[in-house]
Amino acid sequence: MRIHYITGLAALFVVAVHILMRLIMPFHTSLQYSNVIANYHNFPYVVLLESILVLLAIHGFNGLRIMLLELRQNRAWENGVTISTIAAMIAIIAFGTRTIIIANGLGVV
Amino acid sequence: MPTSNRRGLIRTTEEDRNNREGLKGWLNPARYGWERVSYWLQRLTGLFLLIYFVGHIYETSSLTGGPGAWNAMLQFTETSWGHLFLILVIGTSTYHSTNGIRLIFTEAGRGLGRPGRPDYPYDALSLNYRQKSGIWVALILAAVAMLYGGNVLFGGE
Repeated sequence: MRIHYITGLAALFVVAVHILMRLIMPFHTSLQYSNVIANYHNFPYVVLLESILVLLAIHGFNGLRIMLLELRQNRAWENGVTISTIAAMIAIIAFGTRTIIIANGLGVV
Repeated sequence: MPTSNRRGLIRTTEEDRNNREGLKGWLNPARYGWERVSYWLQRLTGLFLLIYFVGHIYETSSLTGGPGAWNAMLQFTETSWGHLFLILVIGTSTYHSTNGIRLIFTEAGRGLGRPGRPDYPYDALSLNYRQKSGIWVALILAAVAMLYGGNVLFGGE
C-alpha cells in the first residue's frame, strides 16, 4: 500500500497546482487554445503535467488492481490483473506523454 | 479448512468459498455502519476518477489537432451537463483525497484509540468518533468544493 499512499499524497499537491493554474484567470479564458498551448511551452509546467500523468496513472491503476484482487484470489487471476493494469498504466502514460511532447512543440503537428 | 500457503496467503477449500458473499457483500453498505459506507464510497469515487482521468487524457489529446479540434472538444464539454459532470468530479476527488488521508492516518495507527477488553455489544473501539468525524469531514469538504466549483463554472468567472 505504500506506493499507493505516496503517489496519492504527491498527486494531491501537483493536481492542486494544476487546478490553481486554471483559476488564476477567468476559467473560460484559461481554456482558450493559445493559453493552453502557452502552458505547454512552459517547461516547469510540462514537468508538472508529466508528474501528474505518471502519479495518477500509478495510483489509479494500482487502486483498480487492489479492488480486483479483493474480489477473487487465485494465481491466474492475480497475475492477469497485475499484468493488465501495468499494461494499461504504461499505455495511458505513453499516450499522455505523446500529447505533451507534440503540444510542447517538440513533435511535428 | 486452510489447505496451503502461498506468499503468506491462506488458500481455502471450495466449501469455504461457497460461504463468501462475493460482489454482493462488497456492495452491501448496510450492516457495518458508516465505515462500510466510507469503504464503498472510496472505491466508487476511485473508479469514477480513474474513468475521468482516462477521458481527460483523451480530451486534452485534441490539442495536437490544432485550434479547430480543441474548440470542437471544448464545445462538447462546455455545456450545462458538462459542467454538472465537472462538479461531480470536484466532489468525488475532494472526498477521495480527504478520506484517503484519513485512511493513511488509520493505517499508521493514528486516531484508533487504545485497545480495550471486548464487552457486550462488542462495538469495535477502533471505529470511534474520530474515525466517524473524519468521514463526515470528507463529505462536508466535498459538498463545499462542489458549491465552489458550481459557482466558478456557472457563475461565468
